Amino acid sequence: MKDFIIFIPITVLYLVLKSTIFISIPIPDLPLIIVLFIAYNRASIEGAVLGFVIGYLEDAFTGGVFGSTSFALMVIFIVVYLLSKRVTFSTPFIRALAAGLLTVLKGLLIYTVLHLTHFDAPLLGSILIAAVVTGAFTPAIILLLTRISGTVDPQTLKR
Amino acid sequence: MLNNNLIDKKRTRTYVRRHRVILVSALLLIFSLHLALTDNRGAERGIVVKEFISIAISPIQNAIIGTYGAITEVFGNYIILINLKSDNDSLNETVIQLKAENNKLKEEVGLNSRLKEVLEYKEAEPFETVTASILAFNMDRWTRTVTIDKGVDDGIEKDMAVITPLGIVGKVIETGPHSSMVLLSTDLRSNIEAIVQRTRVKGVIEGNGKDGLRLKYVLQLDDVLLGDQIVTSGFSGLFPKGLILGEVVKVEKGKDNFFKEIEVLPRVDFSRLEEVLLVKSSAIAIEAAQ
Repeated sequence: MKDFIIFIPITVLYLVLKSTIFISIPIPDLPLIIVLFIAYNRASIEGAVLGFVIGYLEDAFTGGVFGSTSFALMVIFIVVYLLSKRVTFSTPFIRALAAGLLTVLKGLLIYTVLHLTHFDAPLLGSILIAAVVTGAFTPAIILLLTRISGTVDPQTLKR
Repeated sequence: MLNNNLIDKKRTRTYVRRHRVILVSALLLIFSLHLALTDNRGAERGIVVKEFISIAISPIQNAIIGTYGAITEVFGNYIILINLKSDNDSLNETVIQLKAENNKLKEEVGLNSRLKEVLEYKEAEPFETVTASILAFNMDRWTRTVTIDKGVDDGIEKDMAVITPLGIVGKVIETGPHSSMVLLSTDLRSNIEAIVQRTRVKGVIEGNGKDGLRLKYVLQLDDVLLGDQIVTSGFSGLFPKGLILGEVVKVEKGKDNFFKEIEVLPRVDFSRLEEVLLVKSSAIAIEAAQ
């Protein structure tokens, strides 16, 4: 429940700012970073549901195809959860690299869903720009999320 | 036998417990995919979330987008001023205040002139319209939507045509009590029945998911040239007839050798949208009857 209290308002604030102030400026994909953070840091049923809710919120805010973002974020949650048993996302470089690659994966997954729903979507180069921006900001954002999360629930946090 | 059954049940329980995160994630993944694949079947989705956005978030978006413009103007002027007159703080302060006031007046003059333009257009057109302001832009990768400050309480309905004096903007896809979401004509999901103004060739205008349009289902033999104006055909009953969609900027032979590939530049600059008009569907019906 604590994760919901922390991350849902952050996601809503991010989506509001993205649709009003940062309309044409590439900004890091915060919902993806939150899912990455939860999946490797404290994977639980609550975390999985939170990932789904964040994706659903993003779809509702942007007016996109309902379910496309939550589908992509759930795939990312599972991938990171399985990887976290073999890889430790502890260094800034690994976190940045993972976020960059996952941004590309998210783009490809939504692109695939759009094709499956018979929309003739072009494969956009902007996915790569988004990947670079998200990757670059991820270490700092994860540090911030760890701090925020730690102040609310310090005991459940892993290093 | 009973023992075996108990052992099986225990094993299943242990398996489910051990893999519960993956199992729940997989279920949510399948549910999400189901939502996405059935999204265009007209079923209403996320009603509670949309109501929440309309009631709680839209006023915040309105406040942010309103103050953001003013703040950036004042801040920009402030930076210029401190570089030029760093030795005169009190004078700076006065100038900043005056600049801020001036900006506010300029904004009001701009708003007045835009509203005058909209009003003149509104009076000239035969159909009844409702004016709305843009609250938020959602320019995600393949999504092109905007949120407007009018909703069901203001008489806004789903599928209402959204236009400006320059041409077609899109149509309403979601309505809340105080705000609505408009699908721009450049969104992948948008398709509007259109005709080439010069030759009356029919086709369908679809968004390309970026900032352009495509005119589809035009035969290779049909006469379409660069610079041709594309207008609404009015066949669907959603959009009034003869409103400009854009101009043909590229004509190529299609890969299937049957249809042409035509790119259209929208007449409306969506990044500069501030006010829009929503056409009442009853007005279109009256226009069609005339």
